[in-house]
Amino acid sequence: MRESEIVLDFAAQVRKALESQGFQVVQTRQGDENPSFDDRSAVANAQSGAVFVTLHVASTGLPGTVRVYVNSDLPVATDVGGLIPWERAQTPFQELSRKLGDLVQGLLAQRFKGSPSTAQTAAVRQLRTTAAPAIAVEISSVVIEDRADLERMAPGVADAIAMGVATFRPSYVVPTPAGGTP
Amino acid sequence: MTPKWRTWLLAGLALAVIVGAIYLPILRRRMKLAAKLQQQTAEQARRELTQTIPVNPGEPLVKAKLFWASGNGDGMLTNGTVDLPLSSDPVLRSKQVLNTLLAGPADTDLRTLPPDTVLLAFYLLPDGTAIADFSEALATETPSGIQSEQMAVDSITRTLEANVPRVQRLKILIHGQEVETLAGHLDLTGTFLVNTNGMQVAPPTAAPTATPTTSPGADKPAGPATNQPAQTPAPATKPGAGTLTPDKVTGKLAQPERKPQVI
Repeated sequence: MRESEIVLDFAAQVRKALESQGFQVVQTRQGDENPSFDDRSAVANAQSGAVFVTLHVASTGLPGTVRVYVNSDLPVATDVGGLIPWERAQTPFQELSRKLGDLVQGLLAQRFKGSPSTAQTAAVRQLRTTAAPAIAVEISSVVIEDRADLERMAPGVADAIAMGVATFRPSYVVPTPAGGTP
Repeated sequence: MTPKWRTWLLAGLALAVIVGAIYLPILRRRMKLAAKLQQQTAEQARRELTQTIPVNPGEPLVKAKLFWASGNGDGMLTNGTVDLPLSSDPVLRSKQVLNTLLAGPADTDLRTLPPDTVLLAFYLLPDGTAIADFSEALATETPSGIQSEQMAVDSITRTLEANVPRVQRLKILIHGQEVETLAGHLDLTGTFLVNTNGMQVAPPTAAPTATPTTSPGADKPAGPATNQPAQTPAPATKPGAGTLTPDKVTGKLAQPERKPQVI
């Protein structure tokens, strides 16, 4: 089983679930292409009022469980000109990411026994340069012999993500420049 | 051929098939076991050739605390103790515990690091930043995934934390080079905090003159890796590209006018 193919299948279901909640979905890849971390972040950072969800299928972990990760706390950096460096684009969104992550993880834990109840923290490269509430969702695992076992998880994962984002929406306020126009 | 001989021949063949059916699975098991033993021996030999674990017999045996996988498949680590004649020199001490960690626990299922991984070099800067240079096997043979990659790094940082108080943070290199991720997910461009539980990373700053790292628990600037220019120019930091995100977010907070988009 190739992770990239399974992830696309999951992404299609997540997209459907989110669109059914009224959200607009932009995918960073449609097929077998492999954009760089920065390319993906560039797509995300060009959107306004977006949340970022990156999907993964792990090769380890308890089969049938799903974990949500938010980025490790990044040190707040002051840069000349009031800009946050690209390398720390996630910094102002860490609290929002944590909130979104906990919401989605809580819903996943209800559907997939053995999953953690709250989001975990990790230095996920993709999240660091994303200027939006951002989470990584990792499904275990690609070593399941029968692909159907993984595919059966997709609707539950998609539903949990869509419901989590919908619940998160009212609390999502976009950080804006001090004194600037919203 | 007489019917009598035919009967004997058939009976002999039948017996051979039965013996084969019984013996083949046993033979297969023995071959697998032999292959595993041979593999372990090869790994041991390679490790002995490439790694010189500095051991000073004069040093008293200390119960070194090493962190391996819990074995529950939940991504948690558990600590085990190994009696080692740990050096008082923090660099030698770090090499000792890391090489023991790489050698792995008796139960190979509890490994957090690939068996072929070799610690090529270890340095400790005066500010407490350690630099561990591992062979490529660490990057190529660690199972890809956030959980498995985090476990690998966590087992290293927690083992150092438990045994070498001088190490404040850790920079991981692969074959002398800085790499973007360990196996596709975990960020290796920054340093990992060692002197606290859990894992933190200080990413590279945009310019060498940037504000030093102020990670929780880190009272000193991060190591040299954090002061390197970014590897890839950021689109939003290009002149005229506009603000990516404001530095201070204490101003107005606005509800998005439209529904959030999901990437």
